[in-house]
Amino acid sequence: MEVKIQKEGKEVLVSFIGRMDTPASQEIAPQIESLKADAAGTIILDCKELSYISSSGLRLFLTLRKAAAEKGGKIIVRSIGDEIRNVFIMTGFFNLFEIE
Amino acid sequence: MKSKPAKTNTLVRKSTTAGLMLIVVAALTLEAISLLQNYFSRKGLMEEAQLRAESLLETTRLQIADATHQAESAVRNSIWIARWCLDYPDSLPRIPSRIVEDNPSVMGSTIALVPNYSRKRPLYSPYACREGDTLVMKSLATPEYDYPSKEWFVKPLELNEGYWSEPYLDVGGGNVLMTTYSVPIQDSKGKSAAVLTADISLAWLSEVTGSAMIYPHSYELVVSRGGSTLVCPTTDGPLMWVNIEDLKEMVKDTEGFEKIARAVNAGESGNFPLKLDGKINQVFFSPVDLTGWTAAIAIPEDEIYRDIRRVQWLERLLQLLGLCILLLILRTTAKNQMKYQKMNEKKELMENELKIGRNIQMAMIPNIFPPFPERQDIDLSACLIPAKEVGGDLYDFYIRDEKLFFCIGDVSGKGVPASLVMAVTRSLFRTVSAHEKSPQRIVTAMNDSMSDMNESNMFVTFFCGCLDLTTGHLRYCNAGHNPPFVVSDKVRTLKVLPNLPMGVMPKMSFKEQETDLKYDDTLFLFTDGLNEAENAAFEQFSEQRLEEILNERRDAQGHLDAMKQAVADFVGGAPQSDDLTMLVIHYMNNTTPSSSERHLILHNDIQQIPQLADFVETIATEKNLDQGMAMSLNLALEEAVTNVIQYAYPEGSDGLVDIEAIIRDKQLEFRISDSGKAFDPTAKAEVDITMGVEDRPIGGLGIHLVKHIMDSVKYRREDGKNILTMIKNL
Repeated sequence: MEVKIQKEGKEVLVSFIGRMDTPASQEIAPQIESLKADAAGTIILDCKELSYISSSGLRLFLTLRKAAAEKGGKIIVRSIGDEIRNVFIMTGFFNLFEIE
Repeated sequence: MKSKPAKTNTLVRKSTTAGLMLIVVAALTLEAISLLQNYFSRKGLMEEAQLRAESLLETTRLQIADATHQAESAVRNSIWIARWCLDYPDSLPRIPSRIVEDNPSVMGSTIALVPNYSRKRPLYSPYACREGDTLVMKSLATPEYDYPSKEWFVKPLELNEGYWSEPYLDVGGGNVLMTTYSVPIQDSKGKSAAVLTADISLAWLSEVTGSAMIYPHSYELVVSRGGSTLVCPTTDGPLMWVNIEDLKEMVKDTEGFEKIARAVNAGESGNFPLKLDGKINQVFFSPVDLTGWTAAIAIPEDEIYRDIRRVQWLERLLQLLGLCILLLILRTTAKNQMKYQKMNEKKELMENELKIGRNIQMAMIPNIFPPFPERQDIDLSACLIPAKEVGGDLYDFYIRDEKLFFCIGDVSGKGVPASLVMAVTRSLFRTVSAHEKSPQRIVTAMNDSMSDMNESNMFVTFFCGCLDLTTGHLRYCNAGHNPPFVVSDKVRTLKVLPNLPMGVMPKMSFKEQETDLKYDDTLFLFTDGLNEAENAAFEQFSEQRLEEILNERRDAQGHLDAMKQAVADFVGGAPQSDDLTMLVIHYMNNTTPSSSERHLILHNDIQQIPQLADFVETIATEKNLDQGMAMSLNLALEEAVTNVIQYAYPEGSDGLVDIEAIIRDKQLEFRISDSGKAFDPTAKAEVDITMGVEDRPIGGLGIHLVKHIMDSVKYRREDGKNILTMIKNL
């Protein structure tokens, strides 16, 4: 699991590459935690290369979303694949995030 | 139920009405017959009376004719000599004296000359009559008598022929009723010269009429032409002389009297009813020729019909008796009919209740086949055919914790008592087996319970089994039931210890046995209603025939149908003597080519989670699943396993997570088990996925996903293990 974070002004582009299962989520948790600092701005979560996500990964998404909601920032989920979209729908996340 | 007495009442009313109608009809018919008979009898009796009256009248007429004829001939025979004697008047007295002498019935005789015919004797009438035995000569030519004015003298001259006088009382001769026959005599020149007479007494008439009592109170009378009755008997004896007017006075029935009088005057014969002394009399009358009299007989009608009256009484009595007997018969019949009706109603009620009982009994046992259509590992079929409406056989089965609990039993006896025990047995089986998986303990507990309250000494032969569907391991306990068959490579009987039936005595120990069923083995359980089914020749179906049929490869329903058909063919038309029950269990498990197993064991370490992806990958490849499905399955497995790792085992402790996948044709089953502390993930509250960001809890998503992805998620704790079974239908 790889996470790329690119900051361009107030926008942060986060790209996920690989499978975000439970151990992977634990692994990237500190990186996601650090992103909370940018939660006042716009964070784009690029899921183009995210092939799998489990509830631990969803949980990370949710913490980020809560932080943004707190700070008045914006989370955009981009390039979501069919399978991940399905998981979003199953969990109701589809309504919590702005999905591009 | 309430309508039933009303129905009976209506029936009673109906039958009573019908009975009354019958009696009325019978009574009317009898009455009609009696009236008809009465009519003809009366007619016959009247005809008889008429015949008797007519013959009597004829006799009377003949007697009168005889008497009058004597007098007439005596007189007529003397005419020539009288004519001759006219020329010798002195010899004239000889004529009457000769007439009297020669004719005993003639009481007196005279020859009276027409006044002034003889100058010598202007009035001359020598009269000869009997006084005792002597003959006395008198002369009627006295101024007191004045014969020329008498009817007997005037009439014959007037008519110029013989004439019978009206009867009269001969005052001189002792109140004897007399009548006189007189003829005119002409002399040789043809001039009327004299009248020759003969008197006859009518005393004999009263004897004739008096002796001829054809009925006890009948009486005869003779009426003269002029209307004076000659003879008319009264209660004091024969009345010799009655004026017709007096008679009319005596008879109150003027109309009837006048009717008769008219007929009599016209010289007719016949009969008319006449009321006399308050009684209706039938008056027969007939004219007597020569004299111009009429003879009549009055017969009281009740005497004519006396016989018939007696018969009528007897008849009425018999009718009444007959009607009484009829009534009695009707009552008895109606009572019997009511009894029969009531019995029928009772029977109907009983049959209805038995029908309901049968429905209840049938609803008690599983009766939808196949019972587990979603399962690939077990195929099951059963039937219960009671010999009567309800029976004492039972079977039951259900699956709990991947174990098939089943039983078959046969209560001693048949019918309602057996069915009650059957119901108790089945309930006990369900209750006891709900928290017990050892057949031996199930049977022991059931036996204790049943023996305790077994006052009627009914017992049950019982076979109880518990088949582990995952392994094919069969634990069973037999309580006196006949051993089942196992259809494997070949047909064999399952080795069973006989043990005693349940309900015989409490605190008995039953032995448990066990065996392993191979995939595709069939267990065939039955009650003795099958192998002991008899045909008309009292031959039993036998286990040998049973074995032959089982020898062919069939599915559960196939075996059942084949067996049913075979028994039906064997038994033919013979009545079913015992309840017949069969239970066929076809154990299939996963050995069918389309099913296989995969196994994965993980340590309680999160880092092992990625292995699940490979595990799912192999299954997905094998089943040719698409990527979405594979990811979903991976997700569900990961969430379930993560749960175990995080919650079942304490932090830092070492434990294993066993993941088993059973891959079937159209179904995947995952079984995740661990030996950690009891933890039921399905008991967690559902996450509300509609909640907003702020309120949304972080946890709980895992089990939510599992439930969402899988078709069935079940948790159980068994033998110190948490077992989560998840099924996904493909």
